[in-house]
Amino acid sequence: MALRRDDAALSQDRDTITKAVDDGPVKTRRRGLRGAFVGPGGLRMALLAAAAVALAFAVTAMLILVAGKNPLLAYWALFTGAFGSLDRIAFALNKCTPYILTGVGVALCFRAKVINVGGEGQIAVGGLATSWVALNLSSLPSALLIAAALVAGAVAGAAWAACAAAIRLKRGVHEVLCTLLLNFVGTLLVSEALNGPMGELGAGFPQSPMFVDAAWLPRLLPGTDLHMGIIIAVIAVLAGHVLLWRTPFGFRLRLLGSSNSAAAYAGASFEHGFLGVMLIAGGLAGVAGGVEVLGVHYRLIEGFSQGFGFNAVAIALLAAATPAAVLPAGLFFGFLDAGALAMQREVGIPSSLVFVIQGLTMVFVLCAMGIGMKQQRV
Amino acid sequence: MDSTAFVELLAASVRIATPLLFASLGGILSERAGTFAVGLEGMMLAGAFGGAVTSFVFASPALGLAVSALSGAGLGAVVAVATARFRADQMVTGLAVNIVAVGITSFLLRGMFNGQAPVIQLPTLASLPVPYLAQLPVIGQVLFHQPALTYAALILTLPMYFFLMKTREGLTLRAVGENPAAAFAAGADPIRVRMAAIIAGGALAGLGGAVLSLQEVGTFTDGMTNGRGYLALAAIIVGRWMPLGTMLGCLLFGATTALELRIQGWGLPVSSYVIQMMPYLIALAVLAGMGRGARLPAAIGTAFTRS
Repeated sequence: MALRRDDAALSQDRDTITKAVDDGPVKTRRRGLRGAFVGPGGLRMALLAAAAVALAFAVTAMLILVAGKNPLLAYWALFTGAFGSLDRIAFALNKCTPYILTGVGVALCFRAKVINVGGEGQIAVGGLATSWVALNLSSLPSALLIAAALVAGAVAGAAWAACAAAIRLKRGVHEVLCTLLLNFVGTLLVSEALNGPMGELGAGFPQSPMFVDAAWLPRLLPGTDLHMGIIIAVIAVLAGHVLLWRTPFGFRLRLLGSSNSAAAYAGASFEHGFLGVMLIAGGLAGVAGGVEVLGVHYRLIEGFSQGFGFNAVAIALLAAATPAAVLPAGLFFGFLDAGALAMQREVGIPSSLVFVIQGLTMVFVLCAMGIGMKQQRV
Repeated sequence: MDSTAFVELLAASVRIATPLLFASLGGILSERAGTFAVGLEGMMLAGAFGGAVTSFVFASPALGLAVSALSGAGLGAVVAVATARFRADQMVTGLAVNIVAVGITSFLLRGMFNGQAPVIQLPTLASLPVPYLAQLPVIGQVLFHQPALTYAALILTLPMYFFLMKTREGLTLRAVGENPAAAFAAGADPIRVRMAAIIAGGALAGLGGAVLSLQEVGTFTDGMTNGRGYLALAAIIVGRWMPLGTMLGCLLFGATTALELRIQGWGLPVSSYVIQMMPYLIALAVLAGMGRGARLPAAIGTAFTRS
């Protein structure tokens, strides 16, 4: 008798879980973003993202008009600034690299309804740890030194994310607030290190001494600055894709993202999922910080992580929390950034315009997702 | 530390808490009506910009204040339409408008003045001692030797309490934040109430930004709010969504910052960067210490739709 009841209950759970995965988000979109992302509705999401970007450009054009400039001229300078020459493309690809790495982690978090906005702090401490290894173990052979430095970055980033996760899980402080506040602490930690033990004497700017050549990331294209970070980023995208769609852990993340109760029934604990995805996201952000210092600056400098974390949030959002889609979204924001710097140099239009485009894109994507949600019954 | 230095520290805490207090009172309106106020940071920045640039161009602090409230409300309107009307996720929308605010202020600061950011230098609003009360020992120094906007913020806490807890409109606002369906059934329009609450909250946060640019610093620099909006958010949680408690939260964070500035002057062997971490670490510690006791307005974070 008992056995039969268990069987019945089990089959019911199985139905719940299958349903949760198939169409769960429709039923459980109580918290907006946190449930909106299951199922790869590929083409529809891509069109939506494109529309949001186009709308953001259109609204920003008005802002440029208000400032008395010609928006078409500005956007042309932006475009040629990003794609105008091989050097510029290489520069832009380097810009994309940390965004994509961090974006994959944030996308996985969003998928599990975890709003991790701590990318910036995780990147900062990741870069700090990487730099420490690059400066202090400089006698290692090149490949080993780079690997050790990046692993140190990953560990530091993951540890930083674990702090936020611990406060969230043990003390119930919302992860948005924990990660935001820890961002400030993380970036100040870098400043502290640069003005103390790791700073270069007499540099006049808070920066570390330059790393030995062996620690520099190898170049991919001779004659340009393109470094191998972009390969690491593409690998991270692939790994994120496989993790989400082909592993039990990924399944549990999707389950958590769609329905807490079904996830609990299936034995996927919220705590484990939360901690796991935060560690992964923190680790990827830490690697992003490491790649940035080893590949672009060849030293730790103050403020190297500024804005990267929010970029990653925008990218994960534009990619609809799908790791594979983080690649195009990350490329878009990286080229946008690179183009904006050229635009500022060449036609004198401030590059901060990018933030407007970025923020507006996010708002439009969020609105479109909100409208798409099945309406809550009253 | 002798007693005069201590009194000075307390007075500085109250002054530094002022921008936070304006912003978190605005945030209470928004959160009590059911919308997370993550956008406070951007609204403050918009207000700081609008206030400083207007005062600079028209040489009128009063006009600057009005424009700062309008700037904050404008950004609030974006959040209101996106979250209440289009049911966008509240947390991420807040972050998005914060990014928009960083971009627009930095862009316009240069764009409006032919590509060069002007050097804005404004006389900061002087302190106005209250007659008689300012003579009181200790309290006079701490509370009645402050600039005008600090008095305004402290006084505003009381009407805010009465509005929320003792008026019909305040009850409606809270009902919308607790159970929008019930409020709807009782004849209120939750979407309209939420939008009004967010926009009014944005205006207050904008004023908070103006306090920063007009009363504290006397200029505008890119990203000058530097996390104060998030501290205001933390203060709301510390105060459990009540105006008076939130005021205490703001004073706590104000005291931390005031202490931070003093410690740097004392020449202790602590680096200034470690000291700068204090407000954020203390905010985290206080929030973690309160633990799960904090009860959010029940319907916060959820979208409301008729039908």
